[in-house]
Amino acid sequence: MTDLSRTSVIKKTPKKILKKNRKASIWIPFLGSMNLAVTLLMMLAIASIIGTILQQGKPFEDYIIKFGPFWTHVFQDLGLFQMYSALWFVIVLVFLLLSTGICVSRNASTFIRDMRQYSEKLSINAYKHQPYNETFSVESFDENSAKLLLEKQGYRTRIHQRSDGITVAGMKGRWNRLGYIFTHVSIIIICAGALLDSNLLLKYRELTGDLVAETRTVSLDEIPAKSWLGPDNFSFRGSVNIPEGQKTKVLFLPYRAGFLVQELPFTIFVKDFRIEYYHTGMPKSYESDLILTSPDLDKPIIQTISVNHPLFYKDFAIFQSSYGDGGSLLDLKIRPLLSPFDNPLKIDTAINRVESLNTPAGTFKLELNDFRLFNMVPTSDELEAKTGSKYHNNGPSIIFKVRNEKGKAWEYDSYMMPNKQDGRWFFMSGVRTISSEPFKYLFIPADAERKKDRFFNFLTLLNNPLETTKILARTMPRPDGMTTEAYQMQIRLMQQLVTLFRHQGFKGITAFVEKSVPEAERERVEEFYLAQSSSSLQTLFLEILRMEYEERDEIKPNEIKEFDQQWFEDALTAISGLYDYGPPMFIEMQGFTEIRSTGLQITKSPGKNTVFFGSTLLTIGLFFLFYVRQKRVWVAYSKGNKEVTLAAKDTRDVPETKVEFNQLVEQYKEKMI
Amino acid sequence: MTAHNTTLNTPPKMESETDKNTLFSIRNIIWTFLVSLGTFAAWYIFQDYLDVYEFSILIGTAISLIWLGIYWQTMQAVSYWTTALTMLALWSYNNHGNVYSANEVDFFLRFFVSSQTAVMWMSVLFILATITYFWGLFAGSEFLEKTASYLTLIASIFGFVAMMVRWRETFMVNLGYGHIPVATLYEVFILFAVMTALLYLYYEQKMENRSMGGFALLIISASIAFLLWYSFDRGAYEIQPLVPALNSWWMKVHVPTNFVGYGTFAIAAMVGIAYLIKDKIQQTNPNSAFVQRLPSLTVMDDLMYKCIALGFAFFTLATVLGAMWAAEAWGGYWSWDPKETWSLITWLTYAGWLHIRMSKGWRGTPMAWWAIAGLVITTFTFLGVNMFLSGLHSYGAL
Repeated sequence: MTDLSRTSVIKKTPKKILKKNRKASIWIPFLGSMNLAVTLLMMLAIASIIGTILQQGKPFEDYIIKFGPFWTHVFQDLGLFQMYSALWFVIVLVFLLLSTGICVSRNASTFIRDMRQYSEKLSINAYKHQPYNETFSVESFDENSAKLLLEKQGYRTRIHQRSDGITVAGMKGRWNRLGYIFTHVSIIIICAGALLDSNLLLKYRELTGDLVAETRTVSLDEIPAKSWLGPDNFSFRGSVNIPEGQKTKVLFLPYRAGFLVQELPFTIFVKDFRIEYYHTGMPKSYESDLILTSPDLDKPIIQTISVNHPLFYKDFAIFQSSYGDGGSLLDLKIRPLLSPFDNPLKIDTAINRVESLNTPAGTFKLELNDFRLFNMVPTSDELEAKTGSKYHNNGPSIIFKVRNEKGKAWEYDSYMMPNKQDGRWFFMSGVRTISSEPFKYLFIPADAERKKDRFFNFLTLLNNPLETTKILARTMPRPDGMTTEAYQMQIRLMQQLVTLFRHQGFKGITAFVEKSVPEAERERVEEFYLAQSSSSLQTLFLEILRMEYEERDEIKPNEIKEFDQQWFEDALTAISGLYDYGPPMFIEMQGFTEIRSTGLQITKSPGKNTVFFGSTLLTIGLFFLFYVRQKRVWVAYSKGNKEVTLAAKDTRDVPETKVEFNQLVEQYKEKMI
Repeated sequence: MTAHNTTLNTPPKMESETDKNTLFSIRNIIWTFLVSLGTFAAWYIFQDYLDVYEFSILIGTAISLIWLGIYWQTMQAVSYWTTALTMLALWSYNNHGNVYSANEVDFFLRFFVSSQTAVMWMSVLFILATITYFWGLFAGSEFLEKTASYLTLIASIFGFVAMMVRWRETFMVNLGYGHIPVATLYEVFILFAVMTALLYLYYEQKMENRSMGGFALLIISASIAFLLWYSFDRGAYEIQPLVPALNSWWMKVHVPTNFVGYGTFAIAAMVGIAYLIKDKIQQTNPNSAFVQRLPSLTVMDDLMYKCIALGFAFFTLATVLGAMWAAEAWGGYWSWDPKETWSLITWLTYAGWLHIRMSKGWRGTPMAWWAIAGLVITTFTFLGVNMFLSGLHSYGAL
């Protein structure tokens, strides 16, 4: 791709080649032209930009949400969602390769010849027409000392006896030409290597109908043979999650919207997976202890891998790439939220399992998705000042879904231990119905023993209208002057307000007033109702407190403690929030045994070394190209005129060339004359 | 426009010749000896912690530094001063039992050589140098320009000291946090400023013309402004542990190599701006003093080429090293991760630039615009990817 007329001393050869090509076809010059090459480079750049802006390989639904159905289909048809394997992207690449290939094949032979070309046989006049030349008369000429002078400066020389004199030709920096060849050939090598590692063969098999990606989430034995790849597959890059204490013989390769199952020629057993943390809670290292067994091996390979330290075996490399839960054992307690009695259900289950729950509110499926031992969250500034740590561990949590018979699901993120918020302890449980939204958290206030017991006692009491009526009647005897009927009405109203609050919160009471009371009286009635409900709830809470004291054989003081008053307010907030908490059950983790799984990425990359060889060649070539100047000098003696002509030419004319030539002339005059 | 039609303002000094004469000068012999001694000391003290790769990097660094010092003598002075000031910092820390908080107590650390203070000195000096360069250019004062060069040099030394001392400080905060300070955005910004400044100083000495300093320092000042915002607003100077993926010897070679590329691309673009301004003014007022003081258009064009060629070679090397690291850390040498892809885009941009110049013989204005566009793309690769796109390289999120 270098302009020959500017760089070569002899213009005959390239012209000849060009002429031959022109005869062959007009396509070859077009494909090898610089304009096409630069255009292709720029096209590749622009396509790559699009590929980074449009997130690649996301689920189809995500694109529809983002762009709407019309544009999603347009983009899909253009292949913009799998840009780097889209047909037209590959075609641009192929054209770039063709262009580079033609350019190299056209120029390489000329350049190689040029590397050996000293141009020592030119006439004296030709030297006088070089860009830098100087002629002066001499008394004698010794070609050997001229040769020595040039060689001392690093030139390789040739001597030619002309009929009218002698020429000493010098050349250095031939490798500049190699730079051209190296850089361009290396691009072809890199692409060839990348091609070896591409999934082109799979694409072909897909076209012939031999291969179909699996899109469902099913167990291995349900996956049809058409989604399997044998161990003879040429190259692949996939991942697999293996729980501690288990092994795998397969790998999953993401393909189109689904995946393919790759059979491995070896078995990997995961003995242990570990995460180490810095004291801030940031992970420091991920490590897996692996045992690799294969029929080819006498002894299994036992090795610990970590990030940046993979296991290499034959053409394969096994990397630590992620981790997750490998089916941790859970000990769950399910509390019915609407029950007037304390009758929780206890189940032993594990992550990744689905449990069926039959409740009076309907049948639900409990899908246990994930367990997290640590939940690191940024700390508040004041806590940071105290502990010096930017992060705070919220303790273990489980992530699960509760799905009703219609298929609607609520997703939860529930913490096992209470966490301090504004100086009070709460049990947090987040809920959401749309997976792209953040969780909305329910804060259940912990009692003095940092447990949930008081909260659920209180809730159970609110769920029990008979009991609440009894308590309200007992604690609020009929005042003198009130009829029995009015008193009963009053108690019933209070009980009903408590029930309304239990189901819909204070908002529910306001909504009820708005719906059933004429506008003129609304304000007064609402005030009255809210006051009534508050005092009823307060009464019921005092009853709970009384029972607690009774249990401990203590006497309840007349004053309510500040902690209890605060707890009461927090409990009312939590109960109001239950309305948005989904199906009426509260699932809490009582205990767990963590089982982790390690996420391994396994690659078979036969083209890797080719790519690295090409890359090395490219780098070396660039330094040759930029930092080696190909220079020629001539010392030509003319017998007849007793004259010496010094001439010089660089392949690339730079300011230094002139200076160097002048120095050479000076040195010659100094030493030779 | 061709290279030899225009006479050069100043004929470039013949580096190779002067080098040959002074290759075995006492200065160079002492230099070689001291670098070797320092390398040996580093090996002797830390041999238990160095694996074969880190040992190779140490030897490679020593050889490169010796060569660089001989090829460009200024580097010797920079190294001596950096070493002296770093030693002062280590000594001061040692006097306080090697605790990080000593940087608030000790006089030298607090006011001069703790990494945070050194960064502040560097920042102030770079900004002063920028102003002085421009002042010198408009006033036509050689004294001011020379002062600016020295300010830049001292700023670079402080930048180096900041990095060296921070390296030690990371280990002082927590032995497990220790890392070469080229891991976070804050750290690489120091690297960028120092690298760009030194590269510029090298070309300035070669051209024997200081008038473009303001332009080159402008981009450094911009990065300093970002650095200051980033430290004061976001507390970026805080020493944080490395994420596991960065904990590799590859980082020691991949990142600095990349910044030679970023630095030279930045200089090339700033020269491009100077070129366009000069070209514009020259058309309306050829006798303007401003125009006279700047190097000739040909020299600027050549400088642009030299910067881009050097940057391109190093950027290629850095990308190749990155691919090799990726093959070891992520399981594939190329994943079309946004940072990788933008590196490719940058690479293609400059590959196009070089092809057009070398074989089509384009010069001047279009190439200057191209170099400026190149810097925009480079900046996006360096910063924008971290800010706007997510991916595997999301280490320096803002």
